[in-house]
Amino acid sequence: MDSTEDTLNNPAVRAYLHRLVGDEGLNLLERFPEGGEFSDEELAAKTGINLNSVRHTLYTLYERRLAEYHRIKNNETGWLTYLWQLRNDHIYDALREDMETVLDKLSRREKYEEENDFYICKDCHVIFTFPIAMNSDFKCPECDQPLGHFDNEMLLKSLKQRIESIRNSLGHA
Amino acid sequence: MLDPIEDGLKLIQSRPEGVLQSELWKELGVDSRKCSRIVKKLEEGGLIDRIEFKKDGIKTYLLKARQMPVNPGDLLAGDELIPCIGCELECIVEECHPLMDWMYQLAIVGNTND
Repeated sequence: MDSTEDTLNNPAVRAYLHRLVGDEGLNLLERFPEGGEFSDEELAAKTGINLNSVRHTLYTLYERRLAEYHRIKNNETGWLTYLWQLRNDHIYDALREDMETVLDKLSRREKYEEENDFYICKDCHVIFTFPIAMNSDFKCPECDQPLGHFDNEMLLKSLKQRIESIRNSLGHA
Repeated sequence: MLDPIEDGLKLIQSRPEGVLQSELWKELGVDSRKCSRIVKKLEEGGLIDRIEFKKDGIKTYLLKARQMPVNPGDLLAGDELIPCIGCELECIVEECHPLMDWMYQLAIVGNTND
């Protein structure tokens, strides 16, 4: 299993996890004790991170199978304790799942960029499709300045390249 | 058909449930001996798994593409992570401003790298 340090050393993986769990979550990942299983309260005590943040991070990671727990019951009190461990070995599966969604969104955006002609207000920096620009006599609906043609060629080119790269990475023919 | 090995791989990759070798050669439009050579190359390259399979009592193989690890760098434009990850906004991908900003970043980085 990859260590958390290895996982977090990849800038893209780090940015991905940061988006999911935020500053405090990343802090927990960095300080998560090596090996073994820990309750949320133990983790809060060992890392000095607020218990609510610890719980929130663990549940968020659990949703993507990046953390798992097992439950033990205290026979005397009947209380349940959840013991958590990280599953860094699932990171590429989680990324794959999210990248499938990203691919779908980018492909939809690509189609939109391909099928439309765009106009821009150079003052407001708002972009309009041809039908909307035509309806307002090629003037900005906000400031009434004339709209100019917006060339999306560079945007579309780099978008297509990235889509191709993701498709290859996901093994889509 | 320029590269039958690549075509074979693409066909196998397009079927997550796998393809029977006894059907692959028909779909590729090659004879079964040539198909065996293609499959051997793909298997040796670690690109597919070949699993024994019986169809109507006849032994053949189920061919499945191996999953390669994804490249997480594809989620970045420069050091900007694509906004779709963990996004809780209603998704209107055509009008998404955070996505537009990311696409600008992607075009700028792409131009710098070209």
